[in-house]
Amino acid sequence: MLMSIIRKEILSNLLSYKFSIITILSTILILVSIFVMYRDYCLAREYYEILQLPYAIPLTSEGKSEDTPVVIPPTPLGIFAKGLDDNLCRSYEREFGGGVSVSRNRQSVNNLFKLFTTPDLLYVIKVILSLCAMLFAFDIICGEKEAGTLRQSLSNDLKRPILIIAKWIGGFTSFILPFFIAVLLGTIFVTLSPMLDMNAQDWAKLGLFLLSSVIYLAVFFSLGLLISRLTHRPSTSLVFSLFVWAILVFLIPNLGNILARQLVRIPTVQQLELKREQIQIRRGLKVNRPQTTVHERMAAHERFNSEREMLGEDYRNRFNRLATISENITRISPAAAFTFLATGIMGTGMLEERKLKRAVLEYMDFAGNWDDRKGDRPAFRYQRSSFREALGPGGLGNCLILILFNVLFFTGAYVAFLRYDAR
Amino acid sequence: MLKTIIAKEFLNNILNLRFMIGLVFCLIITVACTIILSHDYRQELADYSHRVNLQDEFLSNYATRGLMFRMIPHQKPPERFRPLIIGISGNEDSKSFDDNPLPILFPPLDFLFIVTIIMSLLAILFSYDAITGERQSGTLRLVIANSIPRTKILFGKLVGGAASLLIPFIFSLLAGVLYINLNPNIQWDGSAWMELALLTAASITFITLFYLLGLMVSAFSRYSATSILSCLFLWVLLILVIPNVCPYISTQFYRIPSIKETERQDDENDSAYDEMERQRTREVLNRFRSNYGELFSKLESLGFGKILNDEIGDREKVEELAAADPQFRTMADAFRRALDQLRDEIRAMSREEKKKLWGDLDTKAAAQTSLAKNLACISPFANFVYVVRDLTGTGLRSVEYFDKAKAEYRRLFWLYVSKKEDDARRNNPTFSNDSFLDLGDYPRFEFKEESLRGKLGDVLPYWGILVLFNVVFFVAAFAGFMRYDVR
Repeated sequence: MLMSIIRKEILSNLLSYKFSIITILSTILILVSIFVMYRDYCLAREYYEILQLPYAIPLTSEGKSEDTPVVIPPTPLGIFAKGLDDNLCRSYEREFGGGVSVSRNRQSVNNLFKLFTTPDLLYVIKVILSLCAMLFAFDIICGEKEAGTLRQSLSNDLKRPILIIAKWIGGFTSFILPFFIAVLLGTIFVTLSPMLDMNAQDWAKLGLFLLSSVIYLAVFFSLGLLISRLTHRPSTSLVFSLFVWAILVFLIPNLGNILARQLVRIPTVQQLELKREQIQIRRGLKVNRPQTTVHERMAAHERFNSEREMLGEDYRNRFNRLATISENITRISPAAAFTFLATGIMGTGMLEERKLKRAVLEYMDFAGNWDDRKGDRPAFRYQRSSFREALGPGGLGNCLILILFNVLFFTGAYVAFLRYDAR
Repeated sequence: MLKTIIAKEFLNNILNLRFMIGLVFCLIITVACTIILSHDYRQELADYSHRVNLQDEFLSNYATRGLMFRMIPHQKPPERFRPLIIGISGNEDSKSFDDNPLPILFPPLDFLFIVTIIMSLLAILFSYDAITGERQSGTLRLVIANSIPRTKILFGKLVGGAASLLIPFIFSLLAGVLYINLNPNIQWDGSAWMELALLTAASITFITLFYLLGLMVSAFSRYSATSILSCLFLWVLLILVIPNVCPYISTQFYRIPSIKETERQDDENDSAYDEMERQRTREVLNRFRSNYGELFSKLESLGFGKILNDEIGDREKVEELAAADPQFRTMADAFRRALDQLRDEIRAMSREEKKKLWGDLDTKAAAQTSLAKNLACISPFANFVYVVRDLTGTGLRSVEYFDKAKAEYRRLFWLYVSKKEDDARRNNPTFSNDSFLDLGDYPRFEFKEESLRGKLGDVLPYWGILVLFNVVFFVAAFAGFMRYDVR
């Protein structure tokens, strides 16, 4: 019986207008997104080649020396979930006096990027396909009730649990099928391109990303099912579904960040940079005085360095607290949990950002203390988070949140359906 | 009859569940958003004042000519529309090691979001079944059976539907604005209120556009279920896809040199000019050595004539010697003039080269941005964003305007510093780049928002496109409804 209902559900979906329009939309979007982001990745690679070139550093005596900037290559996984990759792939250079200067973002010349969002696969799944999932599920129960077929089905020897499980499986399978086909086509296109070099770990990460996408979309499908059960007319269900979708996808993640800022006071970056600049100027004034002795210069350098370090450390501690609180608040939205999970897996998220900055600071310290008599200084080496690190406590937590949402919404729909008045 | 249709449509909508949900939802979000953003604005204002004070204090203690270029006091205050719309940042912010990456992952929530996402969705929900719903329930057939022209029915549906749709929007906006008005930290002048009125008008244009889109799709559909899916398909394309893809497409069609390439080129040019300066300084030194012999050696022994930096010389001692020996003074003055002349020449050449290099990048970047901007115009979302951001001083135009104001201030500030420096040199012959400059009365940087007249020139074409979208959708809805089979 279960199989027959699943088959019936899949067939009726495949023949519906809804299926055609969602298939067309998702296929076009996914392919366009992968193509556009692939081209963007090629530009990022070109930019990386330029950043990698050694840069000249002026010395106090006549002449100049060369140093290699600290920069990491863009990840091919950024094609699917770009996240903070443009920020991560800026070059870091050692400033005189122990600071770290950062090159401008690759896209900062075109200001229009500041107005709009990156159309990567993560965005397509998080925003558009989640909406499609709700559109697929909003009339599963109330639609049949309105058409009168639910009453007929239940008047036969058909158990309600079997009906709802079959509806979920059949509906979700027919929804997820076009998604997989489109992603497969996009991935084949990307794989055949010569610029891309993905290793086994990258493929595993991509697989995990797709798996988490399925779990995420299932959350919205189950939610649509729940709303369909809680309402009696498809039009009401649709209105509720769209508003709940807007709240979960847009409202909570954005509001969460704003709320976190109210809880943790953090100075603006401009204030931080101004203070740093002032420390540098005071240092310059102190050490460049002709009457300053070598000993006094050393002491001044040490004092200003520690003042600068303290300033940066204080800011970073506050910022990390802000990011943690913001992450915890926004996690009550599946969209935010999915964003953190996906960017964590792909190595383009907050976790990676913190890890890279820590590594850069450590390397800058190491480079500052390097004795040139020992030979050439080793170059900066950085390994993006492994599969295991990405699925650390934070990643696993986000994954569990998504599963929990699924269980919660499906159980809600299941329990409510057992008591549903089909008349 | 038209009034009856409008009243019926209006009543029908406001008694519907979607109206109540829309009203409550908009009201809660707008008020919550305004309260939080106003609080943010207060914090940013405090941060801005703190930065201004920091710079003031710093200048009064550490102002020296040599390091003045790092101390120019131009801080940007938060935009006055910050309690409603979060502005975009300039490029300086992206150069900090400790920047905040969270907004990249989650774009901010503000008035712009409420209108573009929530109100446009609500507009579609109000209109997707305006015609199909009545056809399915059979009422359209009954209405048409009477002597009511179809034009009147469509027009009545448009006016009644749009009026009911605008109630949640206007109520929410009024609640938000009331909070802003009662907040003592926010002081809006006449021009700000005028801008708010225009912002409301632009938002109404945008919202009715999506209402008309729903009406048009409804006029071409047989069933409400088909109509809503088609509407949402178009909504996704127009709001979520086209504007976001366009900047990426423009980078593919119009390639420009990267910033880093330009910076590297600039560094190379600087090195070449430094080398030229060293070379020519050597020539001057050799000339003076051969012309003045022993006398010039005396000046060199006091730390002057170093190829990289002659500011470390003992000026007081030179003054003593110059006072005692007129020939020494003539030589020292001639030497300084020769060095100043060669440096001025080389720096002028370097400045020219720099201007050309960065000007070239700016021109190409502007062309790429313009291409992306024009491509995105096929989406009403992009047009609305341009209108609202430029009108409220929270967009690209305001960043450019601030950069111009900053450049103008820099010019004034340098004039002031040069005057101060000349005075200081007159009063104290030993004045050097490391000497303290008293800048107690320096001209303060006061950023004034661009006038409305200036902004309107840029805003009106995009607003015109929004109106055009309205006209096109209405004409299409009209054409569809005229031939609509009501059975």
